[in-house]
Formats: sequence, C-alpha cells, structure tokens
Amino acid sequence: MKNVEMNYITQIEGHGTVHFEIVDGKPKVRMEVHEGARLFESFLRGRRADEVIAMSSRICGVCPVVHNYAAVQAVENAMGIQVSEQTKLLRRLGNVGQMLQSHALHLYVLALPEYLNADGVVDVYMRNPEAVKRALRIRNVGNLIVEAISGRAVHPVSSVPGGFAKLPTKTELKRIVKELKGILDDCTETYNLAASIKYPELQRKTEYSAIDDGKRYPSYEGMIVSSEGVRAPAADYRKYTNEVYRSYSHTKFSTRNGHGFFVGSIARVNLFSDRLTDGARELAKNGAVKFPSYNPFHNLVAQGIELVHYAEEGIEIASLLARTLKDEKPEKVVRAGTGVGVVEAPRGILFHEYAVDANGIVREANIITPTAQNVQNIEEDLVALLSANLNKPREELVRLTEALVRAYDPCFSCSTH
Amino acid sequence: MVKPKVAIFDLTDCEGCEVEIVNSRFIDRILESFEFVHFRLGQKTNKWENFDVAFIEGSVITSHEVDLVKKIRENSKLVVALGSCACFGGIAALNNFTDVNEGKRYVYGKEGEKIEVIEVKPLGDIIKVDVMIRGCPIVRDDFDRVVSDLLAGKVPKEHTRPVCMDCKSKGNPCLMLKGTPCAGPVTYGGCGAPCPSSSMPCDGCRGPLEVPEMSAELELLKKMASPDDIVRLFRKYTSAAPAFKSAGGGK
Repeated sequence: MKNVEMNYITQIEGHGTVHFEIVDGKPKVRMEVHEGARLFESFLRGRRADEVIAMSSRICGVCPVVHNYAAVQAVENAMGIQVSEQTKLLRRLGNVGQMLQSHALHLYVLALPEYLNADGVVDVYMRNPEAVKRALRIRNVGNLIVEAISGRAVHPVSSVPGGFAKLPTKTELKRIVKELKGILDDCTETYNLAASIKYPELQRKTEYSAIDDGKRYPSYEGMIVSSEGVRAPAADYRKYTNEVYRSYSHTKFSTRNGHGFFVGSIARVNLFSDRLTDGARELAKNGAVKFPSYNPFHNLVAQGIELVHYAEEGIEIASLLARTLKDEKPEKVVRAGTGVGVVEAPRGILFHEYAVDANGIVREANIITPTAQNVQNIEEDLVALLSANLNKPREELVRLTEALVRAYDPCFSCSTH
Repeated sequence: MVKPKVAIFDLTDCEGCEVEIVNSRFIDRILESFEFVHFRLGQKTNKWENFDVAFIEGSVITSHEVDLVKKIRENSKLVVALGSCACFGGIAALNNFTDVNEGKRYVYGKEGEKIEVIEVKPLGDIIKVDVMIRGCPIVRDDFDRVVSDLLAGKVPKEHTRPVCMDCKSKGNPCLMLKGTPCAGPVTYGGCGAPCPSSSMPCDGCRGPLEVPEMSAELELLKKMASPDDIVRLFRKYTSAAPAFKSAGGGK
C-alpha cells in the first residue's frame, strides 16, 4: 500500500510540519504548511461584494466571524459606506463570541492536553471531564452570542454592507449578559489552569503588533501599531506585512524590516494590558505569569487573560445594547472603490482588501491572516528554541518544536486560504 | 461493549464541520461511546486500524488527497462525507470554473504555478460514500441523528425535503415572493433555514434535492435576477453537484 501518511503536527488547525536540521551546531528550520491552496483571492474576483462577505468566512471554521467582519468592513470602506456606532458595538460583541469560541477550543482541545500528560481531548475528558465541560460551557456562550448577533455559530449569515440584515432582540441581549456572567468563573479557572503550567523556558523579545482604535482593547478596527513604534493606517497594511512566497510552504511569509513579528493574544496583552477590563488587568499585572512576557509559550496564558477580558467586555456591551438597541435598516448602496478591513482575530490582526467596480463586482482581492503574519516569527523562535536545547535527543526536540508551534495557535486553513 | 472504532480526517477545508461536532449537544456521549483511533485535530496518537466509521471532511484538491481517501476507504466499513466540501466539492470547487494557473499566479506569483490544484469533485465520485452529512457547515442535529443511528447499528438514511419546509416551520415570510433570489426551493432542507431566518436567501449549501425542480426554479429566478446572478447563486459551496454546476447555463 502506498504510504500516504504525512507527519502533520497534531492538534493544530490545518496541515503543517516543522522541518529542521542541525548544521555545524546551528539549527536550520522550515515551517512547512501543506494545506491545500484553495485560492480564495482568485475565485472571489467576479463575485458580488455582498456575496464575498459570507463566502470569505469559509476560509476558516474556527474563526469565521472575524473573516466575515473584516470582509464587510472592507466592502464598506470600498463603497464609502459609514456604519452606525450600534453596528460597531454589535460587531465587537460578535467578536466577543468569536474569541470565547476560539480560545476555549484552542486551550482545552488543542494546546493544553499535552501539559496535562494527556494524548488528546478525549483522554482529558475520561480523566477529568470537568475540564472539558468547562471548555464547552464557555464555547456554548460564545456560540449563543454569535448565533444571536450573526445568525449562526459557524459561518455567520446576517452581515450586509452597512450593518445586519437582522438584529438581535433585547431579550436575546439580556440573555447574553446573564450567560456571560455565568461563565466568568470558568474563564478565571481556565486562566488559572493555563498560568499554573510549567512551560519550556524561552526568552526572545520580538516585535509585537496589534490594532489600536485609540481607546479600547483591540477588537474590531483601528490603526496598525507595534512595540517597535509602528503607527499606521490599516490601509497601509502591505508595507507592514511584505508577503513573499517560499517554495516550501503554501502560506506566504510576512516580515518587517527583514524580521518576524508576533500578532495574537500575547501581542495584545503585551501592548494593551492597561486597557484590559478590571478582572483581566489584575491577572496580567499580578498573576503567576507577568506581562509583558517574551516567552512565546505564554501566548496560552494570554489567551486565558483574554477569556476573562472579552467575557467582561461582552457583559458591558450587551448590557448597553439591551437598553439602547434600536431598529436600523442598512440602505443598499453600490459604489466603485477599494477598501481595507481590519479586525483582531483570535490569532491576531486580520486584513481583507477588495476593489469593487461600479456594478458592485469584486475585481481584486487580498487577504492576509494572522498566522501568515506569524510564520516567520515561528521560524525565528524555533531556531532560538532548538539552539537552547541542542543537547537533547531528537525525539525531545520534535516534541518541543511541535509544542511551540501549537502555542502560537496557528490556523493553516486561514493562512493558506 | 466494544466501542466502535472511529476516524476523523480533514482534507483541504476550514474544519468548521469538526467544530460543529464539538458543538454537538451529545458531545459527552460521543466522547464516551467511540474509540477515536485516528483524529489528528484532537489527539497525538493516530493509528491506521480497520475503522468502523471514517468521517471525511474537506475537499479533495491534491493527488495526495486522492490517494489518502482511497486508503481510508480500504480501511473503513463505513465512510461518512462530513459537510459540503466532501459531499459536493465545497467552495474550493469554484476553481473548476476559472483559469486555475492564472489563479495561482494571482495569489502566489509566477513561482506558485507548481502548486498542485486538481479539478475538485464530490468525494462520492472518487470513492464509495455510505452516508452524507450535508451543509456548510453541517447541522448539529443531522450529525447527532447519524451518530445515534450508527450507535444503534443502523445505516443512517436521509429524509429529503426542500429548505422551503424549514422556512414554513419557522414561519419565515417567503423571500422569493418579495423578489429576492433564493436557492431554497431546490436545496436539500433539514437545516432549520438559518439564512432565511436572518432575512438572507438560501445559498444552496446543502446541495440539490435528489430531483430538484430546476426548470421551475430558474423560470421564477429569471423574473428577479440577472443571468450572471442566477449562475452565482448556485455556485458557492456545492458547485460540483451536477444540478447546480449547470444551473443558469453558466460556463
């Protein structure tokens, strides 16, 4: 029988392998992504802009909400459509649901089992069902929010240029407040679990980047900012990503000034811990792991902090909307133009850009996902990790490299699209 | 009781259907009732044994994936196509209608031409599929029903009806009566009509009914949509299904 087994890294979204060799005592590393190339940017050309919003969410079933929102924001910017504060708040709330869904899935199903000496999530469930049930409670509330705001838990349906085809009811918003309050302890417990783990030692400061709307913790829109002083409009994203194709990977690589940079939970907490909600800020400041942290494994702890943050932010937004929500019907507008949308996905900054013609047909498309931005930094961290552990047996090096990749919460379906 | 041996494979896709498995109301029963022998997304140790049931999620878009699904078939008593990528090619099948080499150059540059993207077909055109769980993404209730049948030792059957029935039971006003083009009348229902319930048209994500009334649907659509829009309506997530591939006469 033909050997069709590839040694893909288990417990990550999508298909990838780390290839490394030690040459003259120095590690050489390739982060190879083998996910099939679906060529979204190619086949989205020729589609109506309003169709592209739902279609683009199919890039990823783990973070479909942010693709949907980045796409609708890009289309609105292309057509010069202004949206209401209420629409922005609803999208922030939808993103709360997305963060809860994704972080709980990543921590309990993918990343943490190996630190609990378990082979996988089923193994964790058999020995400690409460841990998995906690993850499911958090996820269920995430699903409830996304269903109420966007019509379906995976692959949202109700986003249209200018807002939503259908709004949640005040009753649904009140229920969201109640359910979010009900999982705050679960979120804190998740942080406690993530922060109690002894992660591999690795200190490598890099450039941390996120989006900044000027007042709140990163979520729905903003400027590109970084720990190295970048401050630029999202529309200039190409200058701060510089994507190139390398023949060993179906994911293109992003760099800044020739080096990698880090987007995602650890970048957001490192840059904006002062904007976290009270409960989450306390954890970032005085918890077992101190932030800013330059250990990439602490991305998992940052996800725990963010579970608390986004749940608390969700309570705030849903409470406000439950009082103030009013009926809004987006008007249908079709105008030619080019626009960029930017959203903080669970894994970091997500860019969508579309050029739309006067008939509302998409003519150009470009999508740069957080994992595509992180792959260069993953390679650089892998070199540092291997350099510090050269004396260990190969088996152990493989284990360490895979654990590091997993800590980034990569999404190779996203990054290949 | 010996637990049925289950494998879950993902090909080229978004993994959203696997996410919907996690969302199942009966996830605890699923975790307890099966032995997961191959499940890359969820565990480290994965073995090729004889699978009682193999779930295959995703589109077959490389020759490696063709070999892989053939090997899965040889190793499995039952093969379940999980979601519309497996059932009907999924969104990646849209490359069937474009110049795929131009597409690769557009996304990756000249060097990207060597990336392999084969014609995307339904999984059932490549290997024998025993059960289809449709949708983009799958619907939790469908998955739960299939799992209940499997645990009871039954081969799951599909109950065919259009999305219009779901709209009726939800009390949704008909979008087509208001002039909005909708794929619901010819699309396999059972989804609970989440799209029309959000005032959005059905986009055919569960694929065509076994005997879809395409000519009547197209006659209606001509009154409210341009020829291009009719073609686009059926070319989203299930365009490798023959009835939708040719709908509206698109090339």
